[in-house]
Amino acid sequence: MPAATRVLKPHQSAKLRVAGALLAAAASLAACNSKPPDPQAALIARGREVFFNETFSGNGRTCGTCHREARNFTIDAAFIATLPKNDALFVAEFNPDLKQNFENPRLMREFGLILENLDGFDDLANKFVMRGVPHVLAQRTSVASPQGPRTGWSGDGAPGDGSLRSFATGAVIQHFTKTLNRVAGVDFRLPTDAELDALEAFQLSLGRQADLALPLPLRGTVAKRGQEIFLDNGLGKCNVCHGNAGANLAPGNNANFNTGVEDLPDQPARLTGEKVPRDDGFGRPGDGTFNTPPLVEAADTGPFFHNNAIQTIEGAVAFFNGQAFNNSPSGRFLASTDPNGVGIRLDATQVVAVAAFLRVINGLENIRQSLELLTQSEALGFFDAARAKPLLMRAANETRDATAVLAGAGLHPQAVALLNEARRLAERAADSFFGRRSLTREAIQALERARADLIEGPK
Amino acid sequence: MRTFLSALGVAIALISAVFQVHAQKETERFIPIGQSPGVSQKYTSIGEISEVDAARRTVTVAEQAGRRTVKITEKTRIWLDRTKLKQANLSGSFTDLQKGRRVEVKYEDPERPQVADWVKVEIARP
Repeated sequence: MPAATRVLKPHQSAKLRVAGALLAAAASLAACNSKPPDPQAALIARGREVFFNETFSGNGRTCGTCHREARNFTIDAAFIATLPKNDALFVAEFNPDLKQNFENPRLMREFGLILENLDGFDDLANKFVMRGVPHVLAQRTSVASPQGPRTGWSGDGAPGDGSLRSFATGAVIQHFTKTLNRVAGVDFRLPTDAELDALEAFQLSLGRQADLALPLPLRGTVAKRGQEIFLDNGLGKCNVCHGNAGANLAPGNNANFNTGVEDLPDQPARLTGEKVPRDDGFGRPGDGTFNTPPLVEAADTGPFFHNNAIQTIEGAVAFFNGQAFNNSPSGRFLASTDPNGVGIRLDATQVVAVAAFLRVINGLENIRQSLELLTQSEALGFFDAARAKPLLMRAANETRDATAVLAGAGLHPQAVALLNEARRLAERAADSFFGRRSLTREAIQALERARADLIEGPK
Repeated sequence: MRTFLSALGVAIALISAVFQVHAQKETERFIPIGQSPGVSQKYTSIGEISEVDAARRTVTVAEQAGRRTVKITEKTRIWLDRTKLKQANLSGSFTDLQKGRRVEVKYEDPERPQVADWVKVEIARP
């Protein structure tokens, strides 16, 4: 008898009814088993929603247009090349009101540079700077200073009280406007107080919430030597300004320095012949200083410096060896305090070692974030697949980043293999209903084994 | 070596202290009166200009809490808030600070609000 016409016997029907009832009961219990709402978590969730979805009645851009989660909250030319032509990032290419003096599409597509009128809006054709998109990770550790908050590449990015909370207001005015008139209520609307609160909470929740405590018990030979050079205030001198590979001179003391980046010859954007005015940094007129960014997140958030002048982390480390830095106020100051009158002078192998150290600590941070996301996903109930999936995909992305920063310099091949395995398991978990939690646990184990290849000791 | 490192750290900290943080004033121009985040109503006066002294370069603002006279210096930024006209805001000058006009004045120093850091002047009629 064909299956389609088969009639169930009474005991078979009864079994099916019981199974259905049990499944329904389990679903109900899962819904009841919910913790009381956490106001801070709700604020962060609201901030996430605003960050990625709110256009503020402007030209279609959101904060997430430039600060892409899939690219560690920044963008580069390679990522930009994957975007469709009608992406809001390219609004200057298809909105006739923004065709002139809003962006430079060539520099955006080739170097990931964004136009900003930090010295005023009175002469849009000539008064502007071209800057990369800074990531917004670990801001809880990198914005505070005794003089007040420092935001953006030059530390003076926010209007109003200059705080991280106020930053979004300035960003909407600069980047979201429908026309160059920038009239509030016409070309955009300003963020409300509630939206500013939510955006601040969301941004502060991203990435590291505390600085590292160097030295770390690293396993890799070259990275270990790189850490030594980094911490040696007579050799690498990196730790002087980037304490514990962060953004601060001391905890809560983020600072600005003139390191001579603008004096680099052959800057990629200027090689094109496009107009790229000199960027004078903090203040108006600028004093030539720029804000110190954290280094833990550096290796997978290039290109580097405010103008995307250097593509690789090795190149960024080597910059401090060169004339532009050593002739700068910061370089000359370091030299003046050095017993041998030297600013920073590293040989090639030492540059590579410091870069390897930065790659490894970035990889460790990727692993930490991925473990956090996988653990959150594992804690979700059996019927919470819809909430688990984005966590698993973000974990997979972080794991991919860790793979790239290590494999990019041939570091820790065993860890790279384990990271690839972890990523595949996370991706499978994202698409699996019945196997989600066990696959997640396997991914966690693979990540922990990868981590153990990079660093000694407990988690 | 330790002494050298300590001295280096202190020196750099001193140098960094010279760099005073301030807000991004250029985009401030496009923020209407009363909407500057973290500043309006806390570190500003909003009211009508009741007196202008061109010789002393001061303006007196009549606000709810009373009257306050502030000095307009060469560094004071003056903007014309034309939001109500749905027109672009412009840079202004001392001559735009006229009796009867609604303004928002931010003090250079909250502890000594005698000097204006910036002034927004509402232009509600063409």
